Amino acid sequence: MEKIIVCIKGVPEPGSVKVDPETHALKRESMELILNPNDRPALEMAVRLKNDYNIELVAISMGPPNVIPLLKHAYALGVDQMILLSDRAFAGSDTLATSYVLAEAIKKLSPFSLVLMGLKSIDGETAQVPPETASLLDIPSLTNVKSLFMKDNKWIAIREIEYGEEEVEVEGPLVCSVSPTAFEYIRPPSLKRLLEVKNKEPIVWQAGDLNLDSQKLGLKGSPTQVVEVIEKKIETKGIILEGETEELVEKLIEVLKEKALIKN
Amino acid sequence: MFERINIENLPKGNILAFGEFYRNELNNSSLEILSPLKEVAQALNKKLILLFLIGSLEDIKNLEEIKKSLADEVWFVVNNELKDLKDDLYTEVLAQIVKSSQPYGLFFPATKIGMSLAPRVAGALKVGLCAHVNYLKVKDNQIIMSRPTYGENIIAKLVSKSSPVMATISLGAFNIKYGEREPLMKEIIFPENFSWSSKLKIRNFIPSKKKLTKLSTAKIVVSGGRGLKNKETFQKLFELAEILGAEVGATRPVCYEGWVEEERMIGVSGVTVKPKIYIGFGISGALQHTVGMENSEFIIAVNTDKDAPLVKMANLALIGDARKILELLLKKLKS
Ligand SMILES: Cc1cc2nc3c(=O)[nH]c(=O)nc-3n(C[C@H](O)[C@H](O)[C@H](O)COP(=O)(O)OP(=O)(O)OC[C@H]3O[C@@H](n4cnc5c(N)ncnc54)[C@H](O)[C@@H]3O)c2cc1C
Ligand SMILES: Cc1cc2nc3c(=O)[nH]c(=O)nc-3n(C[C@H](O)[C@H](O)[C@H](O)COP(=O)(O)OP(=O)(O)OC[C@H]3O[C@@H](n4cnc5c(N)ncnc54)[C@H](O)[C@@H]3O)c2cc1C
Repeated sequence: MEKIIVCIKGVPEPGSVKVDPETHALKRESMELILNPNDRPALEMAVRLKNDYNIELVAISMGPPNVIPLLKHAYALGVDQMILLSDRAFAGSDTLATSYVLAEAIKKLSPFSLVLMGLKSIDGETAQVPPETASLLDIPSLTNVKSLFMKDNKWIAIREIEYGEEEVEVEGPLVCSVSPTAFEYIRPPSLKRLLEVKNKEPIVWQAGDLNLDSQKLGLKGSPTQVVEVIEKKIETKGIILEGETEELVEKLIEVLKEKALIKN
Repeated sequence: MFERINIENLPKGNILAFGEFYRNELNNSSLEILSPLKEVAQALNKKLILLFLIGSLEDIKNLEEIKKSLADEVWFVVNNELKDLKDDLYTEVLAQIVKSSQPYGLFFPATKIGMSLAPRVAGALKVGLCAHVNYLKVKDNQIIMSRPTYGENIIAKLVSKSSPVMATISLGAFNIKYGEREPLMKEIIFPENFSWSSKLKIRNFIPSKKKLTKLSTAKIVVSGGRGLKNKETFQKLFELAEILGAEVGATRPVCYEGWVEEERMIGVSGVTVKPKIYIGFGISGALQHTVGMENSEFIIAVNTDKDAPLVKMANLALIGDARKILELLLKKLKS
């Protein structure tokens, strides 16, 4: 088996993005990024596979230099190599432009057996990057995967769909997005590796290192575009009642009767 | 049974909607997305086409439903290899149809299957894809799509500059409507040399034990959030639902806490509800939640905070402890 690549994303702390009331532009209150919570199960799956098959793990992240601590966190969890994809030209990428950069970086890391990603980010929340990257690499993809192992040189995966679970056999290499509920237990980082990573830095690849087509990058290379952001104003429209529980419940019952939900 | 049409002769420039079929059953979400798409198609003077990939024509159980749909035409691709969901093969088939019929738009319901296929197809065609939109409008001959975003009350309006315009459409965001005329049914014939192979093999299927909730079509919804404090109190909502003939809904954090299964999540990441009455216990009313219930006819909010957004949008708000109110209400209703 060849190496496993895990893609991780830095996301703003929930609640730290606001709309500027004057310019209507999105503004971030802090530039601090956290690891996308849905990427933790992907990392956990990667570490388990590493332990089972003794293979190299590579973590890659496309983003500004402040995702470096998150790559180091991945190292502390068991990743062997950290790669940061960072270039001004990547800014403003939609999922197609993001998947293009990830796919080209993954190609450069060939040969590989598996790419693991989170189901979706908690900021963009499109869940599109994993299948889109696989499509650009022209390899199979599965989403919402909750378990994965190798048998006779083929991947056997369980994926969740609305109707139940499917057991799928796939000729690799393969891209999987991991179900957020795949694991009951997720291991903490190892102390030894936390110390070790202090003296390590990720490899940085810029657009030039990947021979990328500049027309396909960033805002320019992104066919979907946000044309407007609107902050929804909420106005009071009904009756607000304060008082003792007893009174409130009486009122509630009165309304439920009015609406014929309960009989007198 | 249907008119057979070679792929190269397909009419061009239309609006295509992916019809989800799984194990011979039609998924209703495919009929839901036709409602906004019909308006888009009419505004752009295009035909609306519902497209199915299936194993065999005998398998279709819901033909009557399909005949009543809003689609102007229904296209079927029939091949035994399409019996199982094979993402790579499905993508290849859809990409071929797009290349031949050059549609103006291609849309998917935001089901797990739709969200697996749409990005693969977008990647194969190298075009943009808007994610789970819940509003579509044509303005200056362009489709404008909206989706809520981030933790705050922010809505993003998006356009896609590439062709075809592609998006996945939120589940439950639109009602199913029926058409006036039966759509034309066509079976698309692929070239002899098309390869139906796939790197995926479905070995086994275990149906989910949970039956799908009737939440999205419920007339009454009783819903709970973090203000209910714990799982035990939350579970009391089921007693209330039983008495009122309601379905139970929830906010995202409480689903993640495991108080209730995720199928009951209301909002962008879950289902959209449009009941006659919605009662929210201990729910703040973040936009991600309210986009999934704002079209309820009558909203009741129970919250300790009279400035909570849900309190403001409610027709009736009760300012008090949700647990106490719920418990007393149950006691009175039972007696
Ligand atoms: C308001 C708003 C709306 C948007 N709507 C759309 C839209 O409709 N369509 C569209 O194409 N784009 C959209 N975008 C852009 C999109 O959020 C970005 O392209 C983003 O870089 C990747 O998408 P995501 O966060 O949705 O990733 P997802 O597809 O949700 O992420 C899934 C997994 O992919 C991996 N991954 C994602 N990004 C990276 C990365 N940078 N580095 C490493 N791994 C990664 C991670 O493992 C992650 O868990 C929108 C952005 C904003 C701000
Ligand atoms: C990308 C993204 C997608 C999301 N998708 C969804 C989604 O689909 N659905 C969804 O619901 N959320 C979603 N969220 C989360 C959403 O932003 C909110 O965080 C969530 O809806 C809040 O849930 P809540 O109202 O239960 O909790 P809180 O916001 O914590 O509110 C609890 C409320 O209970 C009140 N309260 C406290 N104690 C009591 C008491 N004793 N009695 C009565 N009231 C009390 C408080 O005043 C408060 O108003 C999403 C977030 C993101 C970032």
